[in-house]
Amino acid sequence: MVSKKMKATSTIALSAALVLSMAACGNSNNNESKGATESKGNTATNAPDAGTTKTESGKKVTITFQNIYPDPATPSYKMLHELVDQYEKENPNIHIELDTLNTDQQKVKLKTQAASKEIPDITIVNPAAQMKPFVDAKLFAPLNDMLDQNGLKDTYQSGLLDYYSFDGNVYALPDGNNIEVVYYNKELFEQAGIADTPKTFDELLQDVKTLKAKGITPIAIGEKDSWTGSFLFMNILLRTNGGPGFLQDVLDGKKTFEDPAFVEAVDRFQDLVQAGAFPDGATSIDANAGGNIFKSGKAAMWVIGSWETGAIDASSVAGKAGAFQFPSVNGKGDPNEFMLAPGSAFAISANSEHLQETKDFLNFFTLNLPNKQFELKNAVGIGQKVDGDLKGAGYSDLAINISGLFNQVKGGDLAFDNTMNPATAQVHLSSIQNLFVQKVDSVQVAKEHQTAFEANK
Amino acid sequence: MKVLKVPARTIAVFVLPCLLLYVCLVFAPILVSFYTGLLQWDGITTTKTFAGLANFKEMFFHDPVFWPSVKRTLLYAVASMVEIPFCLLMAILLNRYVRKGNTLVSIYFTPVILSVVIIGQLWKTIYDPVSMGGMLNGVLISLGLDSWTHNWITEPKIAMFALYAVSLWQYFGYHLLIQYTGVQNIPDELYEAAKIDGADGFKADRYITFPLIIPIFKISIVLAFIGSLQAFDLVMVMTAGGPAHATDVISTHMYNSSFLSFKYGYGSAIASFLVILCLVFTASINTIFNKLEKKFS
Repeated sequence: MVSKKMKATSTIALSAALVLSMAACGNSNNNESKGATESKGNTATNAPDAGTTKTESGKKVTITFQNIYPDPATPSYKMLHELVDQYEKENPNIHIELDTLNTDQQKVKLKTQAASKEIPDITIVNPAAQMKPFVDAKLFAPLNDMLDQNGLKDTYQSGLLDYYSFDGNVYALPDGNNIEVVYYNKELFEQAGIADTPKTFDELLQDVKTLKAKGITPIAIGEKDSWTGSFLFMNILLRTNGGPGFLQDVLDGKKTFEDPAFVEAVDRFQDLVQAGAFPDGATSIDANAGGNIFKSGKAAMWVIGSWETGAIDASSVAGKAGAFQFPSVNGKGDPNEFMLAPGSAFAISANSEHLQETKDFLNFFTLNLPNKQFELKNAVGIGQKVDGDLKGAGYSDLAINISGLFNQVKGGDLAFDNTMNPATAQVHLSSIQNLFVQKVDSVQVAKEHQTAFEANK
Repeated sequence: MKVLKVPARTIAVFVLPCLLLYVCLVFAPILVSFYTGLLQWDGITTTKTFAGLANFKEMFFHDPVFWPSVKRTLLYAVASMVEIPFCLLMAILLNRYVRKGNTLVSIYFTPVILSVVIIGQLWKTIYDPVSMGGMLNGVLISLGLDSWTHNWITEPKIAMFALYAVSLWQYFGYHLLIQYTGVQNIPDELYEAAKIDGADGFKADRYITFPLIIPIFKISIVLAFIGSLQAFDLVMVMTAGGPAHATDVISTHMYNSSFLSFKYGYGSAIASFLVILCLVFTASINTIFNKLEKKFS
């Protein structure tokens, strides 16, 4: 405990010290990299043929690539490593150093790195409101020029890059574009005697009760990572609001959180909790473990982004899983409006010492990503156009089912933390987490949101 | 210092490297975080607005999470201090009745060498609801105590106590080791002499062990107190402050504010409060014990 004491007294102190010392380094780096980018600019004009960098000088260049694909069992991991290996082989003077973390670790690491302007050459950010503070701090390089090379821009679905654009500049390139769906386990549905997927929220509630009575966990969730509950809640709000745009209206001052649509959404969400829809102790289960409840066949449904399709196909419920749209709530909302989840995105540090080389690599990487993902059977929910027929390529029924849902998308909303600023989002997240453990007056929940929103405007 | 008969300059030379490190790595950053606590700053952008005491005002008067988390932190500290007398009692008993106490002490010490993350995961599965194979609830049910089962770390009213219990369990061996060493260091002659004078057993403890163990006792108390004021890792692993702040302590609240809500200035204000809290309590514990020592010697 001596060391604990020391450690703890200086936890705050040390972290502050780190920030301080890194800030000092950051400044000097700024100046250096300015000179560096200028000279890079020259080499770029000498060798306009990007795609394949010919660094005549032959000097070794190391590009740091912070990424969130840590699990070797997943297709994304293989995609990353195969593309990086290929690029290093074709460009022997370039070394790509991978800084691999899981999502939450990466968020915090990037945040601390950003405080000292020391972010890696390539990093991962989330769209819209979540990346705005970084863009405002001028940490990312605009990628417009790089998007025009090799026709990269045209590979992206129209409108997708808007979520990553500020003042006409694109700052990050997404690894996917997903929607929120309800995965369900056909076998467990049969066991409980449920013939059809629910079309209305009341049917969903009924199914939840039926499943619960049979001793089956109705809906898997890992609410220790509070975004999961919020993601589900927002889908209800998307319905009770009769369509997308609720949060935008709040931001524009046209509505407040005390709007009936919001209160109704809270009420309906509590109905789910009261019906026993979620596993016991949901708030201590982390997101991965929550997903595993479904993937190991112990829960009947899982309300999550379509990015899980590949992982479900690789799990023990492969072949038994189907997917459907989130039902309408109290007769409101169109099931073909989805919670949209434009993916995590690759951004380049504005202070990168090898800005041009990094851009060239990312150009190669994102150009080849769709085909590689397709090859690895992970092409459902990628944000770029890809040639090829899923069925012909041996994709599962679930994957084809999901890609069918994609074709029905009429519109939708972004997640709460992608729309609202981080401080408001945190209040929202813990407020929703609270609904899992106790019954709360929904008007109070709405008021809490509104207060937080006004305080953090 | 005069006893050493070493010139002040020599002392300075030997102390300097450590002092410099200490000033740079501990003292200066504390001052910096006091300053940052006065800013409205998200930790990323270059625009830092000076806000005076606004953060502190917010913290003391408007933050619904702050005071409850202070309360939980203090309770944490009190709980771990209350543990120390039991450690002392255990140490005395071990010293008196067990011939090779060292082995037992080592066994009690095992949890301390385990990483907190492992401890956290271990206890999380012990506390799990029965539907997920939680051991504690399973045992309760097999004893016929069904009504005693709980979702230990997700029910807001008891979650924090479940965390205290883990901490107490983990550090029991640590404080036991300290007290045991203290008890062993008391010379046997004293007890033998006391025995001749008719003081044995509890009486000997009252008049010999207690007065002589006070300095060691103080170390344990201070360590336990400060350690739990800064409790962070275990809470983060087991509940991350949830559900809905029900297990937030000062340090997790500070972390969430600075890194998740992007309120770096506000987080620093909380950090400053924590530093002051630690200083005040360490100072007062020292004063109390100095008085105690004087009284008994």
